[in-house]
Amino acid sequence: MAELGRAALIVTLGLTAYALVAGAAAAHIGRRRLARSAQNALVAAFGSTLVAAGVLLAALLRNDFSFVYVAQTTSEALPTAYTISAFWGGQEGSLLLWLLVLTGFGAAAVTLNRGWARDLVVWVVPVFAAVAFFFSFLVVVVASPFATQQAPLDGAGMTPSLQNPYMLAHPPLLYLGYVGLTVPFAFALGALISGRMDERWLVATRRWTLLAWTALGIGQLLGAHWAYEEVGWGGYYAWDPVENAALMPWLAATAFLHSVMIQEKRGMLRVWNVLLVILAFSLSLFGTFLTRSGVVNSIHSFTQSSIGPWFLGFIAVVVAVSLVIVFRRLPQLRSPTKLESPVSREAAFLYNNLLLLALCLAILWGVVYPMVSEAVRGEAVVLGRSYYDFFLRVFGLPLLLLMGIGPLVAWRRASLRSLGTTFRWPTAFALATGVVLLALGAGSSVPGLIAYTFSAFVAATIVLEFARGTRARKALGAASWPRAFSSLISRNRRRYGGYVVHAAIVLLAIGIAGSSAFDSVAEARLTQGQAMSIGDYRLTYQSLEERSAANATELRARFAVTRGERDLGMLEAGKNAYTVEQQVSNEVGIRSDPLTGEDLFVIAEQIDPDGTVYLRVFVKPLVNLIWIAGLVFLLGSVIALWPDAREQRRLVERTRDVGVPATR
Amino acid sequence: MARKANPARLVLALLVAAALAVFLLYTSIAGGGNPSIAPSKLAGRTGEVQLAGLVVGPVAGDAHAGGLRFRLRDIAGPSKARVPIRYAGSVPDLFKVGRHIVLTGRLRNGVFVAEPGSMITKCPSKYVPKSGDSST
Repeated sequence: MAELGRAALIVTLGLTAYALVAGAAAAHIGRRRLARSAQNALVAAFGSTLVAAGVLLAALLRNDFSFVYVAQTTSEALPTAYTISAFWGGQEGSLLLWLLVLTGFGAAAVTLNRGWARDLVVWVVPVFAAVAFFFSFLVVVVASPFATQQAPLDGAGMTPSLQNPYMLAHPPLLYLGYVGLTVPFAFALGALISGRMDERWLVATRRWTLLAWTALGIGQLLGAHWAYEEVGWGGYYAWDPVENAALMPWLAATAFLHSVMIQEKRGMLRVWNVLLVILAFSLSLFGTFLTRSGVVNSIHSFTQSSIGPWFLGFIAVVVAVSLVIVFRRLPQLRSPTKLESPVSREAAFLYNNLLLLALCLAILWGVVYPMVSEAVRGEAVVLGRSYYDFFLRVFGLPLLLLMGIGPLVAWRRASLRSLGTTFRWPTAFALATGVVLLALGAGSSVPGLIAYTFSAFVAATIVLEFARGTRARKALGAASWPRAFSSLISRNRRRYGGYVVHAAIVLLAIGIAGSSAFDSVAEARLTQGQAMSIGDYRLTYQSLEERSAANATELRARFAVTRGERDLGMLEAGKNAYTVEQQVSNEVGIRSDPLTGEDLFVIAEQIDPDGTVYLRVFVKPLVNLIWIAGLVFLLGSVIALWPDAREQRRLVERTRDVGVPATR
Repeated sequence: MARKANPARLVLALLVAAALAVFLLYTSIAGGGNPSIAPSKLAGRTGEVQLAGLVVGPVAGDAHAGGLRFRLRDIAGPSKARVPIRYAGSVPDLFKVGRHIVLTGRLRNGVFVAEPGSMITKCPSKYVPKSGDSST
């Protein structure tokens, strides 16, 4: 079986090499049939990678420990769901999954677009093939998932902290996001090399970028929720290098999704967009490098391996080649239109881009700073949480405000007086909210108060936009208000889906501000019968229980919780001792308030043999809005992603006259 | 046309300048973070540092009363240096003898006194995302 997998991967390597060489040659000398054959090779590479993935999956499911990979990541006792998740539980499997998604996306994107943008796609194929060649080279030569051995009796099993439902969704979503960013990259480079610098590559990749961006966003929120519920330190994001590795490409992709609209509408920012795509793709590679090379101290410890230098080399090649290509095309990338006023929709988008990029680069600087300082001063200096928090405030808060302003400013140029009229009500609402919150004591954190006020402003503008649009639809003859509302959204999915995503970001901002700027913490050592207070909550330590589960001994302290006069029932917190793995894990107790979104978060830090418990308790206001924001984010993305044949036809129509940007 | 291009350029230049100013402001206010060093390099340093090393037993004391006491040595290399540690606060699940940990703190009278709750654990050999974290 392992031979079949190995052979399939070698076939993939050959096919991608062929697609690269033949595709580039065909595009260069203009041979249509050779180009077609290179495209088919890319599709076939997906097929052979699928075979290899099937072999690995079958080996995992059969617990075939003669596969080194299977023996390292699973065991007989591991439940089937986690056995499947072991596919991405280790490095070799992760790389194979990456290659599978990459060839799959490549085959699909090329097949879907070769009909209407053939001259562009001929150069997209070799770019895709080059990236796929690198990954198939890795799984064939450097880190093969099909290494075999004399089968041991049982596998090493999976670390307890990974045996969690989030393991089934969080890593694959991140991979979808990382790999999905290859599609806009390949089309952008294809457009540059072929010299077809019209807007078609944007039309072809819009949904792909959106899909990758959505997967990356949801994947990160799932990871945050996983950390919040399972790790047991009371937080959801620690500015850890590995977490940042996923955040940076997401920020770059967010900037791209916005600036792309400027190029579609006004033909501006062409160089900028190409650079953003290259940046997003390079950052997704850099993220993999960070997690896999072990060059930085991270709370996430992955296998440290030899693939680090390969990745670094590949990133260097990608960046260098891309920049040379961009540089050579600079004259043709010049915009036919210019920014007319610093107060306009275009300018607002530009500010949004600069802020997103500034935040992204500040984070990148923080991540590489230990390496830079080690090279320069001979001593690695690590930037702490305060560094990142500072930049999140400095760049994030203006970004939040801009989210309310941007969508309402007129294209080309807006007069200050019309702005006054547009923003009268949202501003009044935001100021009123700020004053009320100040009176309620939110002044204890100035950044928190600003975040709340800005959030109120953005929320008001979004509601206003929906109300205005619905009223216009009704006036145009919609039968009823709900029908007017639904036709409003279905006629411009991208715009209103975007507003829904903005609403999600507002919820996220409120949740983050609430839980980080206005949280409280208390610690106490309790013996049975004793009680502690935090805010108006009161916890009474009732009893200590020991239970045995399938693979662990569960120790639980039980608390009776009251809030003011109300009895909130019992809450448990404790530890699980995993017998086989010889590992202890903290199991926190969380009591969420469905009305206010507030969490009471209880950690039993230490349980002494005499039954004394050392407790650490947080009250985190509004933290549940973060998870609700994830659902709203998904809803908005689905609205924007939903196939819309009419819109796609219109866009294709508009870009038919090659080289003429769609201005208005 | 040339005049129309001006406001945009100006805005761009201003924004870049503002970004730089913010950066300088930050570096002057908050300083540059902590150097990360190995136990064998600690001797004689009095400033705050991040110490990364391997836990050496025995582990004694109570993390929430008086502090935990153990020693750290270099993760790799020939050095035999052992640095005595005193640590109070949350102890991540993965903490035990032989594990890689990172602490923030400073040397006081030959003992490395860690900041409460600063311990981060690393599992040396296995893929463990979301392992242990105690940063707050």
